[in-house]
Amino acid sequence: VTVLIHHCILYKKAEVEETLKRIQGQKGVQGIIIVNAEGIPIKTTLDNSSTVQYAGLIHQLVMKARSTVRDIDPQNDLTFLRVRSKKNEIMIAPDKDYFLIVIQNPSD
Amino acid sequence: PIGQTSDELFSSQVHPVLFSAYKTVGFAEGRAGEGFVCIAGVRVAVVGSISPVCRAINISLPQVFDENGKDVTPQPLYQPDPAAVMSKHSKIFASDTSGGTMSDFYSTAYQTTTNASFAGPFTRSVFGSSTVSRGSQSTMESMNEEIEDPSSKRDISISLSDVQVRREEVKELIKEEMLDDVVDRYLIESETLWLLHMPAVSVSVDSEEAVSVKERNNLYMELCKNRMGNDKYVERSMQTFNGAPKTKEVQSEAITMVDAATTWDMYDSFRSAGLGEAALSPDTDKATSASSSRIEMEPFVVPSEDEPDPELVLQSEKFQQDLFVMERIILENIYQPKLAAYRQLPTLEDPDSVPKVVPTVVSRREESSLDEESTLTPALERLWSFSCELTSGHNVSSMAWNKRNPDLLAVGYGQFDFKDQKSGLICCWSLKNPTWPERVFTCESGVTTLDFSASNASQLAVGMHDGSIATYNVESREKTPVIDSSDCAHKHTSPVWQVRWIDHERGASGEDKGETLISVSADGRISKWFLRKGLDCIDLMKLKRTRNEKAKKQVGDKEKKSEALISRQAPGLCFDFHPTDSNIYLAGTEEGHIHKCSCSYNEQFLETYIAHKGPLYRITWSPFCSDVFLSCSSDWTIQLWRQDLFTPVLGFTSTQSAVYDVMWSPKWATVFGAVNEGRVEIWDLGASILDPTIVSLASPGVKLTSLLFATETDCILVGDSDGQVGVYQLKNLTVGEGTQVR
Repeated sequence: VTVLIHHCILYKKAEVEETLKRIQGQKGVQGIIIVNAEGIPIKTTLDNSSTVQYAGLIHQLVMKARSTVRDIDPQNDLTFLRVRSKKNEIMIAPDKDYFLIVIQNPSD
Repeated sequence: PIGQTSDELFSSQVHPVLFSAYKTVGFAEGRAGEGFVCIAGVRVAVVGSISPVCRAINISLPQVFDENGKDVTPQPLYQPDPAAVMSKHSKIFASDTSGGTMSDFYSTAYQTTTNASFAGPFTRSVFGSSTVSRGSQSTMESMNEEIEDPSSKRDISISLSDVQVRREEVKELIKEEMLDDVVDRYLIESETLWLLHMPAVSVSVDSEEAVSVKERNNLYMELCKNRMGNDKYVERSMQTFNGAPKTKEVQSEAITMVDAATTWDMYDSFRSAGLGEAALSPDTDKATSASSSRIEMEPFVVPSEDEPDPELVLQSEKFQQDLFVMERIILENIYQPKLAAYRQLPTLEDPDSVPKVVPTVVSRREESSLDEESTLTPALERLWSFSCELTSGHNVSSMAWNKRNPDLLAVGYGQFDFKDQKSGLICCWSLKNPTWPERVFTCESGVTTLDFSASNASQLAVGMHDGSIATYNVESREKTPVIDSSDCAHKHTSPVWQVRWIDHERGASGEDKGETLISVSADGRISKWFLRKGLDCIDLMKLKRTRNEKAKKQVGDKEKKSEALISRQAPGLCFDFHPTDSNIYLAGTEEGHIHKCSCSYNEQFLETYIAHKGPLYRITWSPFCSDVFLSCSSDWTIQLWRQDLFTPVLGFTSTQSAVYDVMWSPKWATVFGAVNEGRVEIWDLGASILDPTIVSLASPGVKLTSLLFATETDCILVGDSDGQVGVYQLKNLTVGEGTQVR
């Protein structure tokens, strides 16, 4: 049974890697950052300084957004956040253990 | 030592040295231009710079004069009780006063000195601990003379000392055994403690004192009356002195503001305190209950959990889900205009995108007149194509929409020819992700046909080139079929060319209501499959070879020399059930014959329609006219038939290539689409019966193999031999709304 479980974890990991690769290869995607709950980047495709900058700023933004959503209705919670700017779009999937951040420029 | 003058004291530089308590001197930073003398009253560790003004404990106390020469010498605010300053408690005192009271003590300005000689370099002084000597007490007492009021600090110091004294008492240790002892207790009446005594202001008339009281009252009244003009009583006014107020600075610890009382924070603590989820009342109630649970909030401060391993984070279900959604969102950004066109929504221009360079305006003007027409001619506009690296190189053999979710498409990949057979592939594509299929199933042999069930929307039936039939459940992530026909004794021995789920309203034997799976294969049988301890089938019809009656008569004597038949069955290639009468169906064979059959008779055909000269690839009833059906074959023709006529009503030929697929449009009665090797054609019978209305050529080197109309929009899907399924939108196809056919 343990062998099966190990195999499953490997398989899942491969799937996750594949999906990440696919996302990275999509048109206009500038970078993917995965940050853990403390704000430390786990995985990133950008350079270190940009990663740290994004991680820090977005962490605060997500905290504020989540607080806003829950202040209005405490039973509600934030599931996704999209910030559309002139040059690109930042998409954030927050969770209590991690943040998944993707930066895309769709008109690239 | 007492009596030392200030000068002497200050001549010695400031050292962090033990000073005697009463005479600790040092410099302190202060306002420029003024000198300050600091006192280390009683053993104190001074922290940081000392801005306040301290008092030198000289007998000659320095005094402060302001500009007008008024004595504004600040009075001492704190007088430490000499009893409290005992060496025994010195240590405790020191710890208490490390930053707190003593620094406040210093912060109070005692006296300033205008001694200019002190305006030298300011240094910080550090006061060491010191013991109080008797001499200090005397100076303390001298200071005490000028106390205004004992400050609260003094009280504290006194109380502290009291507490310290009490602490010294040795407590009798309570041992375990002593708890069980029977102890005698004696209750004695104690003396009365008077807490409040208010003497009465009235006396009863009957009492003994009444008389004297009355007399006294009368005397008093007379006195009051006489007071007016009496010399003995003179009115005088008085003035009380009000003490001069003085502003005092106090230092306290910074007040930390915590943003903790948000609505959701209260809600969270409310829930975690276990006060139940039943009382989820509005904010006003929460405020009152939060106050009670706030006491319990302390233990619920979230402890810092161990950070989950980053690898675990990446593998968690939630993360995969988020990735999935994120991919879809990114693709939506990219494909938004195409998807909007598919859904027939107006496409929005991205306001920030840089407009691509438009070809020269000059040529545009010339073609403007042509443009007008060209915008009106019907055309196929390519939106996108479903393809990925998995499918490249595979031939698209069949496509089917999911009956419940019109955005889900199943595509089967498999070669038609017997040679170069490779393993088959089934991909379930979603409109929301044209770059990667949602499900991928690999099969041993090439897939030739598939169909989604209507009653069980996630069930997909697949027919394969080696004759086996399997059903898959697309909802699960299983890669294997739910059931397979390989164990069935009557399974097909030749490629299955078509499978279909048919809904019988009334079963033949009264029992099979509901959906059954029907298949036709090249071994000449049309079989009905059902689940009975595994997949099993019964034959609805055996397709016998029929000879052309006319030809038979002509070659009468050649009958004996006719070719020996390999089998008496004719390979069936396609079939279609009547849209309203599920008992009747049409079957097409490799000979080119169309047989109308019924489920009730499995020996005889009802009718036979002969016109095609080559294998029939598709038969399809019109969804609008129940008498009309279309057939296409490899003899380059498409024939339109009416049920009761044995010759086709109309025939359509456009090119000299086999027509692989034909399908009626689900929206317009007179429109159908056809795909032959090199082109897609859309025919509109209302417009022209000789030429197709729209023709779109395939990319060179690629053969188009299958066609599917989208059910709710004006789009068609075309599969080709390279594994791509292109989505095209029908533009400007103006069709009359009539559903009748001449």
